[in-house]
Amino acid sequence: MNEALDHGLWPWLVLILFGFLPSEIWRMLSVVLARGIDESSPWLAWVRAVATALLAGVVGKLLLSPNGALATLPLWGRVGPLAVGMIAFFLLRRSLFAAIVAGEAAIIAVGYWAG
Amino acid sequence: MSGAAPHIEPAMLAEAAEDLGGSSRSGWFIEGARQALSGPMFVVAVSLLSVGGLARDAGFSVEVAVASTILLWAGPAQVLFFGAVAAKTSWPVIALTISLSSVRFVPMVVSLLPMLRTKRTGLPTLLLAAHCIAVTVWAEGMRRIPLVPRDGRMAFFFGFAFICFLGTSISTAVGFLLIGELPRPLAAGLLFMTPIYFVATLTRNAKKPIDHWALVLGLAVAPLTEAFAPRGLDLMVLGLTAGTGAWLIQRVLDARARA
Repeated sequence: MNEALDHGLWPWLVLILFGFLPSEIWRMLSVVLARGIDESSPWLAWVRAVATALLAGVVGKLLLSPNGALATLPLWGRVGPLAVGMIAFFLLRRSLFAAIVAGEAAIIAVGYWAG
Repeated sequence: MSGAAPHIEPAMLAEAAEDLGGSSRSGWFIEGARQALSGPMFVVAVSLLSVGGLARDAGFSVEVAVASTILLWAGPAQVLFFGAVAAKTSWPVIALTISLSSVRFVPMVVSLLPMLRTKRTGLPTLLLAAHCIAVTVWAEGMRRIPLVPRDGRMAFFFGFAFICFLGTSISTAVGFLLIGELPRPLAAGLLFMTPIYFVATLTRNAKKPIDHWALVLGLAVAPLTEAFAPRGLDLMVLGLTAGTGAWLIQRVLDARARA
């Protein structure tokens, strides 16, 4: 597809220069930022809340603008199985395993039925 | 995967460490590895299967696909990277997009590192630990690490992360070789693993109202930022608004409890 990628070191260079370094810089910066912060710092409660919300946002993004095979399902077919999984989670005493099995069963069923 | 929802008691951990020869570092490394093998590794591994397929579609070799897992250690960034290369996006734009998507590691690293380090922890160890932090390792770490004695935490964390790296490297290669062969509904099931796992894990991790609100607000704000926030910055805007909102709610609740 990308002819330049067929040769030697180029794909590795591309991965490091345009993938690894632009991403890793934030982790390195965070090491410096975390330096003065104590585990019991009240400021950390806010940082934790932002991190949790971000993760929820990643989920929202994956379901709202999916790629690949998920994109072939209608919106209800993506959000519905999430609800099914979470209902199983609470019914079966907060079991992560139950959530995954029920959610997966639901989305695969939707896939065969409506996909 | 029957151990996907282990009930870890500090006493159990201490016992496990004793079995492995006191509270030795290698004992905690093995305990971390064991806990990753009891469930979380399989979830990250499955979520990285599709990345292998994307790398192949973009014209990369299987070695580079696996290297992208070890170096980027960020499923969404890898999806962006290979998707953008396949779409022949210009290199500076790819770098910028990747960088914006990885800003989300800042609050994760800043909140996890203070739990891991001791006064003696050196910079190289901190940088390596920061590299290992991605969403799954962060979410699992926030729950498991407080149960480990301070001296064993870094070893435990590296054991946990090492197994996750190993499992995902294998699954990236497997995905590269066979994802095109999967029936569509099963491929959708694989991609769905990440959303259901994250929501269930975050719900299980949540202890105080702030945790629940951060999760609920994050999901609720997602459609808004998706529609209105500048592309690439949407996740950061979402994290800051929903996270700050949850934090403010907790402050109001605390103030009421004190009144």
